[in-house]
Amino acid sequence: MRRIAWVAAILILVAPAVGQHHHHHAMAPVADSLQWRMPPMDMSMPMMPGLESALPPTGPMLPGPKSYPPARPGEVVSLADKDTLHLEASPVMRTINGQSLVMYGYNGQYPGPMLKVQQGSTIIVRFHNALEEPTTVHWHGLRLNSRFDGIPGISQSPVGGGEAFTYELYFPDDGLYWYHPHVREDVQQDLGLYGNIQVVPKSQYDDNPVHLEQRLILDDVLLDEHGLIPWGEDVPTHALMGRFGNVMLTNGVTDFEMNVQPASVVRFYLTNVANARSFNVTFGDLPIKVIASDISRFERQIMVESVPIAPAERYIVEVRFPETGTVAITNSIQAIDHFRGEFYPSIDTLGLVHVGGDPAASDYDASFEQLRDHAAVIRDIDAYREHFNRPPDKELELSVRVRDLPLAIMLSMEIDTLYVPPVEWNDAMPMMNWLSTGAQVTWVLREESSGLENMDIQWSFRQGEIIKVRLFNNPRSFHPMHHPIHFHGQRFLVLEIDGVRNTNLVWKDTATVPVGSTVDFLVDMSNPGSWMAHCHIAEHLQSGMMLGFTVETQNPPR
Amino acid sequence: MMALLPLFILGMLSPTPAESVECVGPPEYYAIALLPTRRVPEARMAEGTAHVSFVESPFGLAMTRSGHYRYELNVRVAGLRPVEGHAYVSWMATPDLKDHRRLGLLPENGHLTTEVEWNKFIVFITLEVVDAPEDVAWQGPVVLRGMSRSGLMHTMAGHGPYEQEPCTVYGYY
Repeated sequence: MRRIAWVAAILILVAPAVGQHHHHHAMAPVADSLQWRMPPMDMSMPMMPGLESALPPTGPMLPGPKSYPPARPGEVVSLADKDTLHLEASPVMRTINGQSLVMYGYNGQYPGPMLKVQQGSTIIVRFHNALEEPTTVHWHGLRLNSRFDGIPGISQSPVGGGEAFTYELYFPDDGLYWYHPHVREDVQQDLGLYGNIQVVPKSQYDDNPVHLEQRLILDDVLLDEHGLIPWGEDVPTHALMGRFGNVMLTNGVTDFEMNVQPASVVRFYLTNVANARSFNVTFGDLPIKVIASDISRFERQIMVESVPIAPAERYIVEVRFPETGTVAITNSIQAIDHFRGEFYPSIDTLGLVHVGGDPAASDYDASFEQLRDHAAVIRDIDAYREHFNRPPDKELELSVRVRDLPLAIMLSMEIDTLYVPPVEWNDAMPMMNWLSTGAQVTWVLREESSGLENMDIQWSFRQGEIIKVRLFNNPRSFHPMHHPIHFHGQRFLVLEIDGVRNTNLVWKDTATVPVGSTVDFLVDMSNPGSWMAHCHIAEHLQSGMMLGFTVETQNPPR
Repeated sequence: MMALLPLFILGMLSPTPAESVECVGPPEYYAIALLPTRRVPEARMAEGTAHVSFVESPFGLAMTRSGHYRYELNVRVAGLRPVEGHAYVSWMATPDLKDHRRLGLLPENGHLTTEVEWNKFIVFITLEVVDAPEDVAWQGPVVLRGMSRSGLMHTMAGHGPYEQEPCTVYGYY
């Protein structure tokens, strides 16, 4: 209980510390003062009657208002075993859609530097916080020492403004990872604090060759003609659905483009760093070869039409660009217009691939078409198959509670929740969502067997235990929504969804539980320490949707 | 065909049958109750359910390039008595009936599984003459029908805080 109280205290203490403190609850924007502004609504949804002048019940907050050095594009930093990286979080100036914005960056870059390291290596990160509020760095997906996991109250104290912290990172698994803050990540991550880590495998896989490798970090930001829509000062706004942006960013820019030669095969490293948005990524009408996800290769490569990717997930995929022309990388979804009660197709361009010039010198066509098994992954997973059919060890129900929401919102929800989609691909109720804050909305992980919820749940495991966790996303709650659930410091397999067995497994650290669905995770409790599991929609995390667990070491130190 | 619309809407408003919660299977929330129209004596006591679950996918969620869910649709019907020279056929259609797809002949056991890629649709069973061509729309009477859960999605106009907004403007009656 003392730990829970400590976590709660930290969350309360660090929450209000960001940005300016003067604010006015008024709708009319004034350039040099901080006020609430209604987020733009890009659809036919009319203003909700009775709420025309309503504001979120928390102050608005933005970084600034000083001027800072302009951010520069993210660099690739190759690090050898025992190398040291100096990493600094600081305010930067960004230009998005022609607007100059105060945002945040790691080492003054957008995205933060991509760290390229070798599997099995260890690096030191000397982190300095040049922000005016506390932060930490969470190394998402790494099975590292829990002291360096970046969770206030569990693995470390927040790093105050002007303070420093030294992380020691170990990379046991190859693949694609990322780093981001774990203090008010609804704000700090949204402002640009994120970067990738590429862990190069010790031994080469039997991959087909590619002509080019390209990272794609997908994000969105919420802007109007006056700049960034403020965040909640004490608690997050958009607590119901999470803060969807209206401007798409790929690698931090709105106009991502790349050039390739005809017949090129490109390996893309996809990471979704958005607060709330899941993307359905397409590369024109080209087939996409799926290689790997969060912590490993898939058992078998597979061709798909699109890549649905939830917040915090990663995928490594390959695309062959056969002909001269331009291929749009898009987020292609069937959005919902809740006011009209309709689905409608919605396509956002995330980037352009210009295919031109002489054909690529090497012909990788046949090799690209070949779908390979990853024998090492299959062998690794073989040791876990005996656990696939056993009953769950832990069961969680995902739901939500609300209090003190305006009556108009409550009435709207009665209509809105007649049908809830498995995944909310768009913010179909932007005003209602904006007005809901973490003070009114509590997202809940509930363990029925103990009656405990969220951080009152403190599971305890022994290192080496294999735990089946069954998650049921209750569709009968006030506003059900899908949840990308992240387990810190461990890896898991998604065994099945709604009784449909997954026959092509991959080690994950984050996976979506759709509304109404029951999903079984098999968690490999391999990494000792104190950890957290939570929804990776930033506003859901800040609204309580997290639990704690410890993994006791098999051989305690003498 | 439009004359059938009220029947579909009636089906849309009917509750879905309760299911065992112990057994992990397709989400009960998205189950489609198939209700009899009582137009054919041999099918008056029939009942059924269509369940949707995601087809297996490397992402858990199964999606098309255009962002539609890829579902496995499991139709289970009981209580249909044979009719001489006729067969029961399963269909799906958009709620406005502008687009439809023949899912197939309903086997004797009343179970049919197919993959669907629509987000909002009607599932229905008709009684067709045995030699009816397969490349045309249904000719026989609808004996069972039900609406996907998404069919409950209705305009907010005319309801709740939007009470003063006429829903007819948005094509609802």
